Amino acid sequence: MRNYYLQAILAIVLVLAVTASASAQNPTDSIKQLHEVTVTSKQPVRTIATSQTLSGADLQALSTTSVADALKYFAGVQIKDYGGLGGLKTINVRSLGAQHVGVYVDGIRLTNAQNGTVDLGKFSLSSMETVSLYNANKLDYCQSASEYASGATVYLQTKRPTHDSLSVQLRNASFHTWMAKVNGQFSWKGWQGFVDGEYCTSRGDYPFRYHSEYEDTVGRRANSDIRYGRVEAALFRGGFSSHIYYYDSERGCPGGIVRRLSDKYTNVGREWDRDFFVQASYQAQPFEWFRYKANAKYTNEYLRYCTKYPENQNTARVDNHYRQQDAYGALCAAFMPWKWLSLSTSYDIRYSIMKADLKRFEDVKRVDQKLVFAAQANWKGIQVAASALHQRYSDWTFVQAGAADPIDRWTPAVSLAYTFYGVTVRAWYKEIFRAPTLNDLYYTQVGNRNLKPEDTKQLNLGVEYHWDKKAWAVDVQADIYRNKIENRIVCLPLKGTYTWSMMNYGYTFCRGLNATLKGHYHSKQWNFSLLSSITWQRDVDRTDPTDEDMYDKPICYSPTFSSGLTGIVGWRSLQFTTSYLYVGERMWSKADPEDILEPYHNVDMKLSYTHNIRKISLGLCLEVCDVLDIQYEHLPRYPMPGRNYKFTLSFGI
Amino acid sequence: MKQLITFIALTLFIYNTRAQERLILLNEGMWQADNGRVSYFEDGSILSNQWFREKNGYKIGDTPNDIIQVGDNLIAIAINWSNIVQFIRPDGTAVAATEDIPNNRRLCSDGRYVYVSSYGHECETIGGTVYFDKGYVAKIDISNFKVVATCEVGYEPEGIALYKGRLFVANTGGYAEQEGDHEFETTVSIIDAATMTVEKTIDTGVPNLYGEMSQSDRYLCINSPGDYYEIPPCGLIFDCEKALQDEKCVVVFDYPVTYNTTTLDGKFLAIGSAFSYITGEYEFSQLTINPETVIQTDGESGIEESLPGTLLADFANMTQPYGIYVNPYTGYIYGTDAGSFDGSGSLYQWSPEGELLGTHKVYINPGHFLALPPDDWANGIKDLNTPKDSKHPNNLYDLSGRKVSSPTPGRSGIYIKSGKKILYNSQLRQ
Repeated sequence: MRNYYLQAILAIVLVLAVTASASAQNPTDSIKQLHEVTVTSKQPVRTIATSQTLSGADLQALSTTSVADALKYFAGVQIKDYGGLGGLKTINVRSLGAQHVGVYVDGIRLTNAQNGTVDLGKFSLSSMETVSLYNANKLDYCQSASEYASGATVYLQTKRPTHDSLSVQLRNASFHTWMAKVNGQFSWKGWQGFVDGEYCTSRGDYPFRYHSEYEDTVGRRANSDIRYGRVEAALFRGGFSSHIYYYDSERGCPGGIVRRLSDKYTNVGREWDRDFFVQASYQAQPFEWFRYKANAKYTNEYLRYCTKYPENQNTARVDNHYRQQDAYGALCAAFMPWKWLSLSTSYDIRYSIMKADLKRFEDVKRVDQKLVFAAQANWKGIQVAASALHQRYSDWTFVQAGAADPIDRWTPAVSLAYTFYGVTVRAWYKEIFRAPTLNDLYYTQVGNRNLKPEDTKQLNLGVEYHWDKKAWAVDVQADIYRNKIENRIVCLPLKGTYTWSMMNYGYTFCRGLNATLKGHYHSKQWNFSLLSSITWQRDVDRTDPTDEDMYDKPICYSPTFSSGLTGIVGWRSLQFTTSYLYVGERMWSKADPEDILEPYHNVDMKLSYTHNIRKISLGLCLEVCDVLDIQYEHLPRYPMPGRNYKFTLSFGI
Repeated sequence: MKQLITFIALTLFIYNTRAQERLILLNEGMWQADNGRVSYFEDGSILSNQWFREKNGYKIGDTPNDIIQVGDNLIAIAINWSNIVQFIRPDGTAVAATEDIPNNRRLCSDGRYVYVSSYGHECETIGGTVYFDKGYVAKIDISNFKVVATCEVGYEPEGIALYKGRLFVANTGGYAEQEGDHEFETTVSIIDAATMTVEKTIDTGVPNLYGEMSQSDRYLCINSPGDYYEIPPCGLIFDCEKALQDEKCVVVFDYPVTYNTTTLDGKFLAIGSAFSYITGEYEFSQLTINPETVIQTDGESGIEESLPGTLLADFANMTQPYGIYVNPYTGYIYGTDAGSFDGSGSLYQWSPEGELLGTHKVYINPGHFLALPPDDWANGIKDLNTPKDSKHPNNLYDLSGRKVSSPTPGRSGIYIKSGKKILYNSQLRQ
């Protein structure tokens, strides 16, 4: 296996060296340096992949603060949110589970080897040009192997500035929230870049109410505060892009609202995060028939979780520190012998090391290698794409249980599409697994080094239609899908040992329909956008055919129906947005039909106005979230804030 | 001879009408979901899986994890994550709740006071808040439902029992794996219940005395799950009397007693379970323990590897066994299966001989039982061993006291025989 990898690397390096020397001899016009392709509705969309994108003005017009807020309007997406501003926000696409969703910033994956999920609350929309969701693969000509390695992928494309600017934003919002943001951009002699900094503090002490047959509880959320600072910068030139990011936060981790006769104890702990990454990518097309890309990234993450407080009487008093470092490199090469055919390959390697001051825990190291071979053909409206991905995970540890056996596997993906009169019909199939995370395998007491990967098989049939005229644009798509997830990695109690352990248990089967409709109209003074999505799905447990109570019964937290509708109206520099989100009833336990989370409607509104005085622009923005003040939950007894307000002032040069 | 056959046939096919099964079952629910629930079971069926709510119009709280009878008309329930000890009447109506006993675990009572063990480090008492480095036991006065005294014990104290005015508390140190500033405890603390001071601390030599602890007069049956790594699980028999007399009072044996309970004749029934990471298999053991013999022979005998009827097989088939209990009034056996982690659990009922009588759907994580006295018990009849009609053991009387030669043919009915009510079932007899 080693030899095989070595050969692959050598081949790619050799090709790169040849092309580099070729380009060195011929430095003038023959190198086409490619800008990252930003997919917006106006450019031709690669309809072979099932994707949804929010970009530019639409993205900024949404009443959102973080990437998670934008994604909730996409079809097939479920947000998991523990409430409050500090709560962890993760997304689940087509019920695959949060760990099957890969999140990529400019094509490089955000990783967390520890728990495998990305808290989307940590990423701001202000530096993003587009946010896209791809079910299965994005299918660019030159993709890194890790881009093929997740069940669903979220792409965050950072903005490339076109002119110099400086802007400052100040915000006051409900629940004692203050935020300040500075953004500077430049564009100079082919170089572009930005620096974006943000600081926010919030007490998050929002009121909540539980009203039912058995209770009428009112209160204010406790231990839900957050303070964070984020600084990031990016630099681009042609095919070169780079990004540096730092995030520092302290937050309370609020607990569930349970029966208490006094407010004396607040249950749980506080969390500190320090995330840093620096990444760079270079891609070029020296010849008509050849393109290559190289990625590199270093990540350093620190997390502290502390429950050593007098207010915590109910759990163990811990003060744990987790440190994770991650180095990543990728080489990709694409050959286009004919215009209609592209053959590509990529090799990715990631080295992770995790340290924690847990009892009986020693450092864990993981080397994760991926190799992909992909082919795409596009001939007279017929598009075909196929890829085979090989992944190999090897771990080293001195923990008592020892390291897990390496994972070594091939997984395929195939896509087919045919386009006629603007209508594309597509079908795709993808198999992929998620490797057990380091937490799953090695966490003291709970970890189980015998875990197998969690396998997913996705099948999708879809149709998409574009219609574009000068002032008008319409985009409709609908996909039906079937997902199977086997060997789910879940934490289960062990019979009679009073301990829990990570186990491979269960098989879920999901059938669904995602549909989106987008419409745009713009004239000189007016601008209208309508974005809508619906999701219908039936997600059932197929683990044990003999268990009548569970077999073929819906999975917890999975709504059968959900939909989103957003309308944006712009008139000169005045803009009004209304977003509506409906999430249907969800069960949260299978023990009682009464154990449901009520369906909820969420209406957000945003009004903004910009005024230009010579070169200075002044902006005012008022947002009202949850206008109807509906009390809802994503998890039982973790109330979400009701109606709240945000007022933002901005200055720009 | 004919008379004898009739007698045997009758004995085989009678139902003892007095065996009225009344059982309160606590469902812990899920952590921080505020969905603890109380089930009420009577004579072969679950009457409610939300008994407390129905009786009181509000929810019981988060993770109820112990229930005991305090007096004829009072029951105490320890609600762990709600930091409450809830008092109810046997009809399910709430009487009072003692607040701010955080992270409370297990209960015992002398009828005047209720004692509760707690993993917490603070307790609200009539004298103000008291602080502890380790865990503690709180003493609640049932005349005002306030904590009147406390006593610090080891880290994370679990099982608690009362014998001759002393509290015997099994310490676990169960947070040792996470906290790191202490190890697993190996001790049983003995507290003078009157003064609430530690009299002595017995080192058992095995760590983490966690899980169910059953009492049979002077004997305790204690489980040790080990340290989950090198030290394997085991079981202990603890002799309170010998402990008070400073004699050797602990016998440790190799079988875990994960689920244990006390039988009518003072023995312990235990089911042990151990999981091997190497084979991925469970190993089950079944034990009937005579504690007196175990202590007398220092563990040489008194442990029998058997259980009544199908108990072991039924437990091994459960998804996640969660508790075992013998009704102290009738000898009927109960067990629970917590089922899958987000589904409902089941209550199993066995006859005293271990014949599975039925399973019943309950709620999430059912694990703590309290049998209520059968109906005639409440009328003051406490002795089951009614004097036998020794002169005429086979005489049959109707309910008016008239002697009959045999039950009315073809009709079922209740008769008195040898001082006991019997149900004559004509269908069964044919």
